[in-house]
Amino acid sequence: MTFNLTFIAIFVIGGYIYSLILPKTWRKWVLFITSVLTVYVLQSPLLVRHMDFILPTATLLLVTLVWALTASQISRRDIITIVVLMMIITGLALMRLLPSEWRIFTASRPPDPFTVFLVIMPILVFTLFIHRQITPKTQPFILSIAILFIVIAFIILKTESLANALSAWLRQQEGRDPSFANPLTDLNWLGFSYVAFRLIHILRDRQTGKLPDIGLRDMHTYIIFFSSLTAGPIDRIERFQGDLDALPDMNGRDPARIVEGTTRIVVGIFKKFVVADSLALFALNTTNIEHVTSAGGMWILLYGYAFRLFFDFSGYSDIAIGIGILFGIRLPENFNRPYLRNTITAFWQSWHITLSNWVRFYIFSPLTRTMLRWRRKPSSDVIALIGLMTTMIIIGLWHGISLTFFMWGVWHGMGLFVHKIWSDRTRKWYNQFKKKEGQLRLWNWAGIFLTFHFVVLGWVWFALPDVSMAFSVLGKLFGVGF
Amino acid sequence: MDDKTIREKVKAYITADLIRDPDYPLQDDEGIITGGMMDSFALAELAVFIENAFGVYIPDPDLTVEKMDTLNLIVARIMRDIQ
Repeated sequence: MTFNLTFIAIFVIGGYIYSLILPKTWRKWVLFITSVLTVYVLQSPLLVRHMDFILPTATLLLVTLVWALTASQISRRDIITIVVLMMIITGLALMRLLPSEWRIFTASRPPDPFTVFLVIMPILVFTLFIHRQITPKTQPFILSIAILFIVIAFIILKTESLANALSAWLRQQEGRDPSFANPLTDLNWLGFSYVAFRLIHILRDRQTGKLPDIGLRDMHTYIIFFSSLTAGPIDRIERFQGDLDALPDMNGRDPARIVEGTTRIVVGIFKKFVVADSLALFALNTTNIEHVTSAGGMWILLYGYAFRLFFDFSGYSDIAIGIGILFGIRLPENFNRPYLRNTITAFWQSWHITLSNWVRFYIFSPLTRTMLRWRRKPSSDVIALIGLMTTMIIIGLWHGISLTFFMWGVWHGMGLFVHKIWSDRTRKWYNQFKKKEGQLRLWNWAGIFLTFHFVVLGWVWFALPDVSMAFSVLGKLFGVGF
Repeated sequence: MDDKTIREKVKAYITADLIRDPDYPLQDDEGIITGGMMDSFALAELAVFIENAFGVYIPDPDLTVEKMDTLNLIVARIMRDIQ
């Protein structure tokens, strides 16, 4: 389940109450408790028994474990946080005793609260035990194992065949027919893609000594912050912590902040629920392409898809950012007029910015820096090619491990590499050329047109489920194959 | 090593190896990345150069446009760790 208008309305009203009435000292606790509850509330119902309770609980335990692996010390507040977390989880399980219409926090009837307590308690105690065992010598190795574990879990869940096998195995354990296994209905783990990337950021920054000291409550709030849980933006912990620390001094009745947050949400709702949903009617998909009989018609579907995707995702980001502002958290921007960029490099600095930054910090930069340090290093162009291709393929596969997302990554990796080669070799000429204002304007418009169409053609890989269908559509866009 | 020496070395490296135009009159407060003179790959190359030339390691999450866009910002970042 993602945000719908009801959830948005609840968060907006909650944001007003939080800003205008709530005592300032309660703010951090309210953000933490709301975020924990949201992990359960937004989880869609799953067909494997109790899985829609197990997966949100696993998110919370994973965050607690990562905190235990990275924390320098455990404070009294951390122990209180663990107790509160325990109370929330078992409290939610206790709702099993209520009639179904009262169980508003969980997707289906939760498991037995006593069993939940008996399972969760030892895990939390074990987590604290691990914290005590970590020494400066063993920490880097243990952190690497934790990163590897998250990556493996990510690969299993994002690879259709592996997720299918896991889903079938889970069904078998329940004595049910494994042939009905379907990861979408059995293992749809809310927000895991984003949670995983935030956790890796924490683990990696601890390894490089960049991670600030952060308590368990605030780390939970950062990783599962309710407005950015399901679709980002992917904030950075040191920035988020700065906002959290400023909350007790925030003027809750500042009209400028409340108007800004509300306006942002209204704009986001219009973009997502009006513009994007209307464009969806004639956007590229497996059904619509069957009805198209001309190249022009196919281009209309493709433009429809490109703008639907932008308005849907940037509208969603606006809503997340707007809700964040109402609660005093200024999440980073995710889009900055991407379709008006005159190079593919500039496009990737303005499309899903927080994901691009994450991949740049944790994949592209370390990879290229390592290669650049080699004694017998390849040429700079070869290193750039490897770095860009790896980065863009990983961005592609992050959306789902499939051949079409791989091709989409290759498409953009090649685009970025060709642009790099071109700009390196024409920079001297361009520095002279950019003094001619009239010609420069024309050049920029040509760049915007070219970049936009390169990106739009790339969406064919992104929108369609198999490669042969994508090739067929690409052919039809140029009049081939009708 | 003082500010002036570092500035000259970094400027010479950026114009010759990254912008690939040694005669380019790079200004101290000129946006090198926002002005389209350098990309994120060049930032990685610059970080390795800074490591080798001055022994200063700049963590990957600090290699951003906001933190490394001008000669002034880059030199200040190096000076911070040298001191």
